[in-house]
Amino acid sequence: METKERIKDILSKLLKVKPEELKDDVSLESSIGVDSTEMVETVIALEKAFNTKLSPKEIIKSSTINDIEAVIKSKLSADEHN
Amino acid sequence: MEKIAVSGIGAVTPSGIGKRQFWANLKSGRSFIKEITRFDASKYPSHIAGQIDDLEKYSHVSERLLKKIDAFSHMALIAAELALQDAGIEIKNEDPNLVGIFLGNAIGGWLYAETELRNLYLEGREGVSPYMASAWFPAAPQGQLSIYYGIKGFSKTVVADRASSLMALGYAGKVLDKNKLNMILAGGMEAPVTPYALLCCNTYGALSENNAYPQSAYRPFDKKRDGFVIGEGAGIVLLEPVARVKKRGANILAYLSGYGTSCDGVDRINPAADGKELARAIKMALADARVSPDEIDYISLDGLAVEIWDNSEIAAIKSVFGSRIRQIPVSCPKSMFGNLLGASGAVDMITAILAMEHNLVPPTLNLEEPATNGLNYITGKAREFNIKKALIISRGRGGINSAIVIEKGA
Repeated sequence: METKERIKDILSKLLKVKPEELKDDVSLESSIGVDSTEMVETVIALEKAFNTKLSPKEIIKSSTINDIEAVIKSKLSADEHN
Repeated sequence: MEKIAVSGIGAVTPSGIGKRQFWANLKSGRSFIKEITRFDASKYPSHIAGQIDDLEKYSHVSERLLKKIDAFSHMALIAAELALQDAGIEIKNEDPNLVGIFLGNAIGGWLYAETELRNLYLEGREGVSPYMASAWFPAAPQGQLSIYYGIKGFSKTVVADRASSLMALGYAGKVLDKNKLNMILAGGMEAPVTPYALLCCNTYGALSENNAYPQSAYRPFDKKRDGFVIGEGAGIVLLEPVARVKKRGANILAYLSGYGTSCDGVDRINPAADGKELARAIKMALADARVSPDEIDYISLDGLAVEIWDNSEIAAIKSVFGSRIRQIPVSCPKSMFGNLLGASGAVDMITAILAMEHNLVPPTLNLEEPATNGLNYITGKAREFNIKKALIISRGRGGINSAIVIEKGA
C-alpha cells in the first residue's frame, strides 16, 4: 500500500471516520473536525505503524493528508540514512 | 421552594430502556438480577448484578464518540435523549445559556480507567489512550452532554456516594426556583459492573453473596437479607419552571416540590443507627414542599438490605410519620434491577413518577418476612394506590442523607 493510502487507512480506522472524508489537501481540522486528543492518538498510531519518531508539533490539526505524507516520507528517508 | 415541573423522563436500567419498557417490567415484579457475564467475576464473593446488555441498540452515539467515553457517559447520553424526546424539547431551539445539566454519580468511569491503567503497567505510557484523561472523571457525563447538545448554562456534577443523583435533582430544583435557567437535564448515571469497581463494592462488605439465586438475592427489609446487589444505568429527567411547561402546552408528569439533606457525622461507612439525621432531612424536604407528613401517600425507600441501614431508615420514617406509617405504602423497587449507586435516587424518582401516573405502587421484591413489622410494605406485585404526594429517600456511605418530595402532575 502507498504511504498515503496507509495513512488514510490508519486514520479512518483509528478515528472511526470514512476514508473518503480524509482529503489529500484539506486540513484534518476542516475535513473531520479533529480534536486535540485525537491528534495525540493519531501521532502515536502513526509512530507505531511507520516505526519512526514523530513530534506532536510536526503533525497538527492544520496538517493535510499530503502534509502528513511528506513528514513521514522525510522521516523514513532520514531513518534509512542514519 | 416553588414547585418545579418534571416534563420528560429518560430511564436506562437493567429493567428496560425507555419509560414504557421500564414500567412494564417494574409492575410485573420481575427481577433482572443475573450472574455477571461481561467478564469472569466467578471468584468475587458477590458476582451478580443488574446489567444492561443492549445499550448499543438504543444508542444514537457515533462510534467516533463512543471510543472516547466511558459507559457511564454513554448511558447518560441515552437517558438525556430519551428525556428530551419525552418532553418534546429540541435543545437547538432553546437559548443554550439558559439550559443546565445537574448530574450525580458515585464512582466515575471505571471501565475506561481500569482498562487504561492495565495498559499503563503492561505497555508503558504510550499504551494509554489519550481519551483516558477526559473519559474517567465523575463530571465527564456533564461535559459530554454539554458538548453533544451545545448546552452552556449553569451546571454541576454532584458526587455524594449513592445519594449523588437525588442530590443533583434537589440542587437542580433549587437553581430553577431562583429563576436562573429555563430548563435542566437532571439525574445521574453509574456503571459499576467492571472488574475493579465490583471488587471495591465487594470489599465494602455490603453486597449479597447469594450468587446461587440472583433473582432473590436483593431482599431489603427481609429477615433473610444479606446485602444489596449492584446495578448499572442512568436516570435523567427534564426539569422546567411550571409556567414554561404550561405555556408550551406540554404535559407536566410530576412536580418536584421539596428537597432536604443532612449528614450523620458518626462513621466513615455506616449511618447513625438512630436515623435522627435522616428524619431531619425528610422533615426538611416536607417543609420545603410545604407538605405535611399526613399528605404523603407513598414512600420510596433506600433499602440497602443491610441491617443497620434498613433499621435506621425505618426508625427515621417512623419518627416522621408516627402511627400513620402503618398505612402509607412503602417499597424499594430497585430490588428488581439492582442498586444503581449514584444513579439510584434519580431512577427511584422516575419510578415514583410512573407509579403516580399509573396509580400503582411497584413492589419490593423478595420481601417475604419483614425483619421489622408495622409498615405497609408492598411486596410481590404492584398494588393499586392513588398516589398524589410521594417521598423518595436516598442515602450514601458515611451518613449522607437526602430526601425529595414529588407531587402528581396535572
